[in-house]
Amino acid sequence: MSRAPILHGRIQRVRHGRQTVLSDVDLRIEPACWTAIVGPNGAGKSTLLRCLAGLQSMVGEVSLGGRPIGAWPGRERGRTLAWLGQAEQGADDLRASDVVMLGRLPHQPWLAPPSPADHAAVERAMLATQSWAWRERPMGQLSGGERQRVLLARALAVEADVLLMDEPLSHLDPPHQADWLQIVRELVVAGRTVVSVLHELNVALMADRLVVMQQGRVLHHGPCDDPLCHDAVREVFEQRVRLHQLDGQWVALPVL
Amino acid sequence: MNRRGWGLGLVLIALTALAGVLALSVGSTGWSGPQAWGADPLAWQIAWEVRAPRSMGAWLAGALLALSGALAQGVFRNPLADPYLLGSSSGAALGVAACLAWLGVGPASADVWVRLGVSGAAFLGSVMAVALTLVLARGVQHTLRLLLAGVVVGVVLGALSALTMLMVPDITRAMQAFMLGTTGFIGWPAVGTMAPVLVVCLLLALGGSRALDAMSLGDAAASSLGVSVTWARWVLVLVLSAATGTAVAQAGLISFVGLVAPHLVRSVVSVTHGALMVLSCLAGGLLLLLADVLARWLIAPQELPVGVLTAVLGGSYLLWRMNRSSGGLT
Amino acid sequence: MKSRWMTRWACLLAALLLASVGGGAHALEVRDDRGVTSRWATPPQRIVTLLPSLTETVCDLGACDRIVGVDRHSNHPASVQKLTKLGGLDDANVELIVSLRPDVVLLGVSARVIDRLEALGLKVVALEPRTQDDVRRVVQKVGAVLGRVAESERLARRIDAEVDAAAAMVPKAARGWRVYYEVDSAPYAAGTSSFIGYTLQRLSQDNVVPASLGPFPRLNPEYVVRADPYLIMVGARSAPGLPHRPGWDRIRAVRDGRICVFTPSQVDVLSRPGPRMGEAARIMLACLQQQVARQTGAGS
Repeated sequence: MSRAPILHGRIQRVRHGRQTVLSDVDLRIEPACWTAIVGPNGAGKSTLLRCLAGLQSMVGEVSLGGRPIGAWPGRERGRTLAWLGQAEQGADDLRASDVVMLGRLPHQPWLAPPSPADHAAVERAMLATQSWAWRERPMGQLSGGERQRVLLARALAVEADVLLMDEPLSHLDPPHQADWLQIVRELVVAGRTVVSVLHELNVALMADRLVVMQQGRVLHHGPCDDPLCHDAVREVFEQRVRLHQLDGQWVALPVL
Repeated sequence: MNRRGWGLGLVLIALTALAGVLALSVGSTGWSGPQAWGADPLAWQIAWEVRAPRSMGAWLAGALLALSGALAQGVFRNPLADPYLLGSSSGAALGVAACLAWLGVGPASADVWVRLGVSGAAFLGSVMAVALTLVLARGVQHTLRLLLAGVVVGVVLGALSALTMLMVPDITRAMQAFMLGTTGFIGWPAVGTMAPVLVVCLLLALGGSRALDAMSLGDAAASSLGVSVTWARWVLVLVLSAATGTAVAQAGLISFVGLVAPHLVRSVVSVTHGALMVLSCLAGGLLLLLADVLARWLIAPQELPVGVLTAVLGGSYLLWRMNRSSGGLT
Repeated sequence: MKSRWMTRWACLLAALLLASVGGGAHALEVRDDRGVTSRWATPPQRIVTLLPSLTETVCDLGACDRIVGVDRHSNHPASVQKLTKLGGLDDANVELIVSLRPDVVLLGVSARVIDRLEALGLKVVALEPRTQDDVRRVVQKVGAVLGRVAESERLARRIDAEVDAAAAMVPKAARGWRVYYEVDSAPYAAGTSSFIGYTLQRLSQDNVVPASLGPFPRLNPEYVVRADPYLIMVGARSAPGLPHRPGWDRIRAVRDGRICVFTPSQVDVLSRPGPRMGEAARIMLACLQQQVARQTGAGS
């Protein structure tokens, strides 16, 4: 291990009712790195991400920056760790810019109005996700893709050191998926950490590190271009994917 | 607050001022405008002692109910939420039924109930019903459990108050008046009670409005932004119960104002919860004030139940707006 | 041959005559306040009443023993308290009523069970007394149902006589007072056209609510403040908050304490338009006499 992990989750067990969703996970997320979590449906990817964000009740410990996540005061944690959930509903009556401004909540004193720095951060985030054009429209009037980009901008506006995103590419067409990739690469270069749960294997295979999950356990965690990693991917998807290299990028194709 | 929000606020204030003048001029003799006051000293006194507190009370009650409604819709993320969803209406009805049933019967019990008064009994009943709901739901963690507990409490207490009405039939008419809402007996003391409650509740609601905005994205997102969701819900539920209880205690069970005022605001502007609270108060106050004026005017000197008029006024406006924007309705 | 033809005709004629006489003597026909006519061959022997005033009327006409079931609010005379209780106007126990096999059910026009009972084949007579004319008509109809027409005439006359007797004893000082009678605290008032208003009128009282507003209007409280009644009559349940209503402290009756508070049992008598109207008049008379005595006693 070259660097101290910025997020370290030691999860013994997470249960939903009678079902055990996660068991015996020991995951170290490296800083300044993009880690993608992949796995079949029901593998526990979203639950793992929620545990790392401190949003899931579990048996175990998660530490952020060396401190247990429970010991972090709410706002400080909010400034350090940003979260984007899967298919977030709601806020249909708020305007897009108001939703993105919510991302600045951890930075604002209790009743203070937004500062110029907040407005600047919101603008930067919305321009990056190309959602600045409809900042005055209510969320309820946006299409799926437009809405997702606004929610993405909200997560970016926090300008946190760690960004956890669950299915960030849902509803996004290829050009905007490319935009997202660009944003992540820039964040990593700037020293931020990104962890994303991805269904799109092709995009996931472009990450720095891959976490492969199966039935509530981590099967493999390592660099993306490692053959062991590819074996693990093929294994969790029951050998029904083929991995090929195309122009220096790995792509996954279903076996017909 | 954006420009449209300010515009709506100013329009509502202007309309309220107009409605206020109307309210002072309409009474048991129909219209008797300010010019009549100079001629008849009794008219001026009546306007001051009877119409002024009643109108102001109607506005305050409407504002309190609208604030509760906006809070309820925000906390439960449900556009159909109204101030009474945690059982407070049935609790208030039971309190009033018990008070009326025991009032004037036997010297000992009468003393307690007279001291408490119908208003006090309604407030107490409303607050205790919400407390019961919170106990049954074991806190505010799960909104669904809270809603279901509220329904259960509402139904059970409603049955109890119906039983009281059956056992003591003399109170039926008075209970009916309470259930349909009545602004007839609001005097200056009642106004003096409602005004500070409105100010305090509005300030607390504004304090929690950012949390409500964050919570509209989901509990997880709000939590990740550093909002203490449980703490915010507790405070906001208590604020909404206090506001509802106070309004119900003075004006009876006026339905629809709390439900429709936030929707009226949202049909015109898209605002964050902070602005929504203030604008809902203005809209709700105006709605109930207009309903009260019409209740006194249409069949003077007889009076219509004000709850019927709030439904007609609020519902018609909402239908009109929905029809207008039926193309863009999502 | 001719004689056989004649006998046949004579028999037919006799039969027809007999039928008409027999039918006419025993057929009872009553048209209730809904316009529905009910017929009985013989006067009904098993009666169910769901309105206290109708219960009292039936008993006063001497048919108390024929009542098999009453509503929960009927409590006079004492003998009916032992009868089967059938609920109120809104929630009468249909099954229980049917099981009592009544020949007639007497109730108010606004009862919700009427359709159900008629669908089950029971004869329903719906009567609703609100004005004084109604009272006389209802008494006559009940008498018709019971086959006690003469007694009903006597009862109507007796009610009038008792009210007149009370009216004659109204002290001179109490004549022509402006009175506000509050039925319930919404506020609902008893207007001039109601049976209560009629009694007040006979007692030489001036009702602040004119006939044009109907028998029991729901008033704007401001109206009462403007009308400034000299005397207020109210039941014990509504009485406590009354002087504190906004603006009411300038009403003469409130300022000088001329408020007659009736006990719940007195309110029962006052609010039932039936045989006890004479007693109601006497209760109101006692109120007037008491107020006059207070005035002269205080020396003002």
